[in-house]
Amino acid sequence: MQKQRRLKIIAASLVLLSGMVFLGYVMLKKTSVRHFTPALLVADKGKVDDQLVQVDGLISEGSSKWDAANFKLTFAVRDRDSAATVNVIYKDRLKPDNFVDGGSVFVEGRYDASENLIVATKLMTKCASKYEGAESAIPTDETSYISQ
Amino acid sequence: MTAEIGQAAIYLSVLSGLWAIGFLCVGLRTRNPNAVRSGRNAVIATFILISIATGALIYGFVTDDFSMRYVVEVSSAAQPLLYKVTALWGRMSGSLLFWLWLLTVAGAIVVWQNQRYNKQTGDTLADYALIPLAIVQLFFIILVTGLIEGVYNPLARFPNGQVAPDGAGMNPLLQTPSMAFHPPTLYIGWISLTVPFAFAVGALASGRVGSDWILRSRRWTLFSWIVLTVGITLGGNWAYRELGWGGYWAWDPVENASFMPWLLGTAYLHSVMIQEKRSMLKLWNILLITLAFQFTLLGTFITRSGIISSVHAFAQSDIGGYFLGFILISTAGVVGLIIYRWKRLKSANRLESLLSRESAFVLNNWLFVGLTLIILWGTLWPIISEAINGQKASVPEAFFNQVVIIPGLLLLFLTGAGPIISWKKITTNNFRRMFMWPLVIGLVSGALTWGFLAVIKGNTSPIYSVLCVSAAVFVLVAIFAEFYRGARLRAKRQETSFLNGLNLLIQRNKRRYGGYIIHIGIVILYIGIMGSKGYFLLESDSLALGESMKVGAFELTMKDSFEREYANYRRAGVIFDVAKNGKRIGTMEPARHFYYKAGQGEQDTIESAIRHFGVNDLYIALGELPRNIKGGDIVNVQVYHNPLISVVWIGVAIMVIGGIIAIAEKSQYSKET
Repeated sequence: MQKQRRLKIIAASLVLLSGMVFLGYVMLKKTSVRHFTPALLVADKGKVDDQLVQVDGLISEGSSKWDAANFKLTFAVRDRDSAATVNVIYKDRLKPDNFVDGGSVFVEGRYDASENLIVATKLMTKCASKYEGAESAIPTDETSYISQ
Repeated sequence: MTAEIGQAAIYLSVLSGLWAIGFLCVGLRTRNPNAVRSGRNAVIATFILISIATGALIYGFVTDDFSMRYVVEVSSAAQPLLYKVTALWGRMSGSLLFWLWLLTVAGAIVVWQNQRYNKQTGDTLADYALIPLAIVQLFFIILVTGLIEGVYNPLARFPNGQVAPDGAGMNPLLQTPSMAFHPPTLYIGWISLTVPFAFAVGALASGRVGSDWILRSRRWTLFSWIVLTVGITLGGNWAYRELGWGGYWAWDPVENASFMPWLLGTAYLHSVMIQEKRSMLKLWNILLITLAFQFTLLGTFITRSGIISSVHAFAQSDIGGYFLGFILISTAGVVGLIIYRWKRLKSANRLESLLSRESAFVLNNWLFVGLTLIILWGTLWPIISEAINGQKASVPEAFFNQVVIIPGLLLLFLTGAGPIISWKKITTNNFRRMFMWPLVIGLVSGALTWGFLAVIKGNTSPIYSVLCVSAAVFVLVAIFAEFYRGARLRAKRQETSFLNGLNLLIQRNKRRYGGYIIHIGIVILYIGIMGSKGYFLLESDSLALGESMKVGAFELTMKDSFEREYANYRRAGVIFDVAKNGKRIGTMEPARHFYYKAGQGEQDTIESAIRHFGVNDLYIALGELPRNIKGGDIVNVQVYHNPLISVVWIGVAIMVIGGIIAIAEKSQYSKET
C-alpha cells in the first residue's frame, strides 16, 4: 500500500514535470526567432527568406524616413563591422524614443530576401548614447579610475 | 573632503566585514560569547561605515560636486533635489553601494531584533545567520571599493583634480516619481530575501534544521514578498504611463529577473507551511530559499553582463562575471552544508495521498518552480541557443504569454482548492461540503462567459477566458465561503454580530486569513490580466486638425494643439474631443516633453494621455510632432482601449493589504531539538 502510494506520487510528479518540459520545448520550437547581424543575414539570404528574424545593428546614417501620412517608418540597419545593410519598414507604430542616426537598434520581423527588407513587428532602441556615454564628459583615461 | 571620508569608510568596512565573519565563526565554534558579541558589533560597524559612505555620496549630489565621477554621470545642477538624491541608484556603482547599504541595514536590524531574545535564551541561531549575511555584504563591499576591474568606487573623484562644468544628468524618462521609487523598492525586496536565506544557511551551520529558522525569518520573507509585489507593479505602472506602448508587462529580461525571485519567494511562503505543520520538505525549503536568493543575484548578472539585449539598456561591464562567480561559490557552499547535515534533513512524514492539502502545496511548488525555470530558459535562450546551434536566437513575448497560461490557470485553481482541501487525505465529506458549490457556480459562470464571448461577441477561441473565469469564480466562492463559515461560527460562539465575528476571525488568525485575502487579490489580478492582455484594442492613424478616428465605441476628434513651457522642459501636444457612442464626454491631451540639455540639444519623451472609464482605460500616445500642426501638418496617433486594466492595480492592492494583515501576526518560536 505504502509502496503503491509512493509510485503514484512519483508518477504524478513525472507527468507534471514532463508536461512542463514539453510545454516549454514546443513553445520554444514554435516561437524561437533567429538572431542575425546585417552581414550574416545578407550572407544567408537564401535560407532565411520569408522567415521571422531578429537583426541587431546601427541605424544607418541618413537612411531613416518618417512618412507621417502613411504612418510608416523606413530605414536601413547597418552592420557594426562591415558595409552590409538591411532595409526595414515599420508601419502603424510610433517611432520609439531615442531613434537617432547611428544609434543601436534591434529589429524583429519577417525577412523578404528578394527585396532585402524586413517588415518589422518590433523595434527597440537602446538608451541614447549621450546618457550612456556620460563618462566622457571629461576626457580621461577610463582605466585610470579603476585602480583608484 | 567628504568623498575621501566616504572612501575611507568603504575601505574600513572591508575590515569590519572580515572581523564580523571571523569573530562570529570562531565565537560560535568555541562557544565564546564575547567573541560572538564582538562579531555582532562588527556587523553594526559595517552598517555605520557604509551609511557614512552613502551619506557622503548623497552629499556630493546635493552640493553638485562635479569633481566626483559618479555625480557627473547621473546628476546635473538643474536636476530637482528629489532626483539628485535618487541619482544614488541611477547607475551601476551607485546602485551597488545602495544595495550594500540596504544589506547592512538588514544586518543591523537582525542584530537588533535578536538581542533581547539572545540574552533571554542564549539562542545563537541569529548569530549563525549573521555569518552568511556578512559574507554577502563583503562581496558587495569588495565590488564598491573599486579595487577590482570593471567597477569603480562611486565616491572616486576624477584624477588630476579635474572638475566637470556640469553633470550629464539623469535620463528624463527616469525623472518621474514612480521611477524614483521602483528600483529601490525592488532592491529592498531582494535584500530582505537575503535574510531568510541567511537563516537557512545559519540553520544548516548550527544543525538546527527544524522550523525555527523559518519562523524567525518569516516576517522578512513576507516583507520581501510584499515589497517585491509593490516594486514589480510600480515598474509595470511606470512603463504603462510613461513609455507610450499601452502595456505594462513585456517579458523583458529585466522584468523576468525581478519576477523570478518573486515566483520562488511565493513558492517558499507556501512550502514552509508544510514544514511547520507536518515536518516535511525540510531540504526542499532550504533549497528553495537558496534558489530565490541566488535568483536575486542572477537578475543582476543578466542585466549587467550585457549577454542579453534588453530595453533596460544598462551600461555593460565585467560585473556579471563577479556575480556569476559569487552565485556558483555560494551555491557550492550551501550544497556542502546540506551534505554535511544530510541525516537531519529527512522528513518526519510522507505524503499520504495525491488529493490532500500537502499535495496541493507540493503541486503549487512544482508549478511555481517550473514556471520560474521555463521563464529562465526563455530569458537565457539567446545564450543557450548560441551554445547549442552556434546561432543566437531569442523568444518573443508570445513564448512567455503562451507558456504561462496552463501552469497559471492550474495555480489559479489551486488558489481556491488549496485552502479548502483537507490535510492528509480528501474525504467525500470534505469534497461535498467544501468543493461542491464553488465548483458548480464556477462551471456555470464559465458557461455564461462562453455564451457571452462566443455567441454575443463572436469570439472564436474564448477557451482560456472561459477557464480563467470559471477558476476565478470557483476560488472566490470557495474563499468567501471560508470567511463566511468562520465568521458565523465566531459570531455564534461570542454571541455577537456577523461583522464582529469576521473581525475576530481575521484578528485571531491573521496569517491564514491575510493569506486568503492575498488569494482574492490574485484572482482579481488574473481577471485584470485576462481583460487587458486578451481584449485590448489598438488603432493607429495619421490625423490633421479637425479629423477624427474610432476605437471601439470611442470617437476621437483632434481639435487643437498646444505648447507650454515648464522649468526644465517644454510640453507640446494636441487636444482631442472624446465621444463615446456619439455622446461627447470630454477632452484628452496627449503630449510630448522636450528636455533641454546644454550642448546636447533636446530629448523628447512620449507623455500619453490616459483616461479611466470605470476599470477600462482609453490611452493616447503621440508620435514625433510636426512643425506646424495648426497649419495642417499631420500628427501620428496611437490609441489603445485597455479593458479591465485598473483591475490589475486593484488586485495588486488587495494582495498587498492581505500581505500586511498576514505580516502582523507574531511568529511563535518553537522549542526544538
